[in-house]
Amino acid sequence: MTEKDSQERQPVPAELETPKPEEIESLKQTLAEEKAKAERYLANWQRAQADYINFKRYCQQEKEENQRLANASLILSILTTLDDAERAFAMIPPELEAAPWVKGIKMVFDKLQSALEAQGLTRIKAEGEPFDPHFHEGIARMAGKEGIIIKEIEKGYQLNDRVIRPAKVIVGSGEEEKED
Amino acid sequence: MARAVGIDLGTTKSVIAVLEGGEPKVIPSSEGGPSTPSYTAVTKTGERVVGLLAKRQAIVNPENTIYSIKRFMGRKWGEPAGRELPVEEDARRKTYKVTRGPNNEVRVLMGGKEYSPPEISAMILQKMKTDAEAYLGEKITDAVITVPAYFNDAQRQATKDAGTIAGLNVIRIINEPTSSSLAYGLEKKKEQTVAVYDLGGGTFDISILELGEGTFQVKSTAGDTHLGGDDFDQRIIDWLCGEFKRDQGIDLKQDKMALQRLKEASEKAKIELSTVQETEINLPFVTADASGPKHLNVKLTRAKLEQLIMDLVEKTLEPCRQALSDAGLTPAQVNEIILVGSQTRMPLVIDKVRKFWGKEPNRSVNPEEVVAMGAAIQAGVLKGEVKDVLLLDVTPLTLGIETLGGVATPLIARNTTIPTSKSQIFSTAADNQPSVEIHVLQGERPMAADNRTLGRFILDGILPAPRGIPQIEVTFDIDANGILSVKAHDKGTGREQKITITVSSGLSKEEVAKMQREAEMHAAEDAQRREEAEARNQADTLAYNAERTLREHKDKIPADLNKEVESKVAAVRSALQGKDVNALKRATQELNETLQKVGAAIYRQQPPPGGQPPPGGGKEGGEGTVEGEFREV
Repeated sequence: MTEKDSQERQPVPAELETPKPEEIESLKQTLAEEKAKAERYLANWQRAQADYINFKRYCQQEKEENQRLANASLILSILTTLDDAERAFAMIPPELEAAPWVKGIKMVFDKLQSALEAQGLTRIKAEGEPFDPHFHEGIARMAGKEGIIIKEIEKGYQLNDRVIRPAKVIVGSGEEEKED
Repeated sequence: MARAVGIDLGTTKSVIAVLEGGEPKVIPSSEGGPSTPSYTAVTKTGERVVGLLAKRQAIVNPENTIYSIKRFMGRKWGEPAGRELPVEEDARRKTYKVTRGPNNEVRVLMGGKEYSPPEISAMILQKMKTDAEAYLGEKITDAVITVPAYFNDAQRQATKDAGTIAGLNVIRIINEPTSSSLAYGLEKKKEQTVAVYDLGGGTFDISILELGEGTFQVKSTAGDTHLGGDDFDQRIIDWLCGEFKRDQGIDLKQDKMALQRLKEASEKAKIELSTVQETEINLPFVTADASGPKHLNVKLTRAKLEQLIMDLVEKTLEPCRQALSDAGLTPAQVNEIILVGSQTRMPLVIDKVRKFWGKEPNRSVNPEEVVAMGAAIQAGVLKGEVKDVLLLDVTPLTLGIETLGGVATPLIARNTTIPTSKSQIFSTAADNQPSVEIHVLQGERPMAADNRTLGRFILDGILPAPRGIPQIEVTFDIDANGILSVKAHDKGTGREQKITITVSSGLSKEEVAKMQREAEMHAAEDAQRREEAEARNQADTLAYNAERTLREHKDKIPADLNKEVESKVAAVRSALQGKDVNALKRATQELNETLQKVGAAIYRQQPPPGGQPPPGGGKEGGEGTVEGEFREV
């Protein structure tokens, strides 16, 4: 203790108390430079940190989106088969219509459809509805009530709240319908 | 902080990209696609729609849907046309009304109101800005927008105006081919000549640029404003219709529903044939006549497709010749070719380009996104983001330590971005081993002896324990300056040793490349040596475990079996002395089989309480997983 006390009482060396003016100038300048550097580094660090946080957020968003999209793209690829089946059933020759085998095949496709519906797949209404680009894609116009869907060319579907395939439709042009 | 983006404002579609951690990234539209169709419309109900929605209603609302507005940007009625059609001719081809404004400027009519082309483009930009802000969760203020290299001052000014109207501060307008070169980082190389071959959905452009130190000069451009992927699709549709007519006598072009399905199937087939040699176009119940339903089922090979579109691809070569002659160059004087546009994914296109220019084209960046990406990079440079982003280095070579049998066990793989650190637990290779030597290695070879020694140190004072029991945690830490510190920590005693090495010192770029080359060259023999080392380690561990099992369960093992094991262990030990790896493997295998008999014998005498003995249960000797073992010192 005594040793420490004696040290504290010792006078501070004189040259430390009064540095030369040019030294002060140069120290000030160095300090300013270092301050600027520190600020720049801090800014870069903050930016890197922000980039990283944002990146993590996008990754999460992308992951969720990918999961949704993965389902959507799988279902989308199955839809053309569903379209084909519907076309097939629409063209069953009358003499086969009542055949139990045909009925069985129909039941198979009903099952597929219910499985897709359980995933949140719903059909978009088209024929007779007013045309709405949020749900429908117009591929032609023909005589009929203006702005109303006259004919559905390809069925549209929504998966939950998202349109995965707009209904492809023919829309009335406002001209009189001609007997065709 | 507000972001700067790059925008490829295209004739048929537009793409927006942003710099993320120094790398360009395309931002999807709110509908989920990577691009936004360059369409705007006022619907019958008076709603203004932009992008995909506007495109969906284009055919049924043709008078009020504006598309290809880019063709009218900054143009005037009656002015001489360059590469493009005269305004008069272009206007005639549009389904919307194009009118004459003050000073012969072009105006378009949408929803009963006149708009200037920049106002229409601004609507597209505005939607992309809004979508991108929603995606990034940040405001966007500054943008770099791209234009074709042949755009004149008025066209560039109109594009800039469009950005301003959309609320963007357009920090620069750059040429599309320049932007593509930026995306490939070509400006970083020395002076060179670059050709950009851009074949999109509806237009073809070829540009020849001269890149100097940070400068880009367009030497010449040529192209065809009405040639692209859509023409390719049409060829397939025509062919399919022809085939069907020949077979079935029915013209599918008269059937809207069938034609729609054909269109989709044709594009799908075209895309598939870029990766496979043959695809099947399968449209059951495509139509019907009195005799019943008709199906379309056609095989299309890549060869057939190429035959169908050969002349279209060859049509792009004439503008290439033109551009070369305008620039006064030969193909050999062009250093790099860049492929841009979705249609350049087709193998035939790549092949024709390669043959014409006599070199392999650059196509590693997504050709639909490359223009926007380059613009994002330019935006980053102008905003100072690129310069200011901390430049992080990578470790050029793998860093690891030597483990039992002279194997190099990697801890930090090469090309890992630094600063970084990595820890792994190791153990001892012999019973009562008092110390371990940490031999720090650098290099790609699997055996320690072939790699470079960075340093070694010894951690001692390990308490006596069977092999595999002590837990020694080895930590590699590289700071941003490439200084590596390696620390070994005995979890049992808490003892620690470390060493600090300046990794970057003493290795030039050439040396790094040489070491990487050597690793590739010796890959096969190295793998063999590593396999040998592993076989030896395995044999040694098994012999050790066998001896311990005999010691611990002496009384439970029949004498003859005991003898058998002893002789098999001796066989393994002697094989370990020799060089024949196959003999060693055989001996190990035999010992393993004998040990299973031992396990069965022990379990027969002492069934585990409350459970059936495992079927064919062998006794595994090791305690816990040992990730690696040090050699004894």
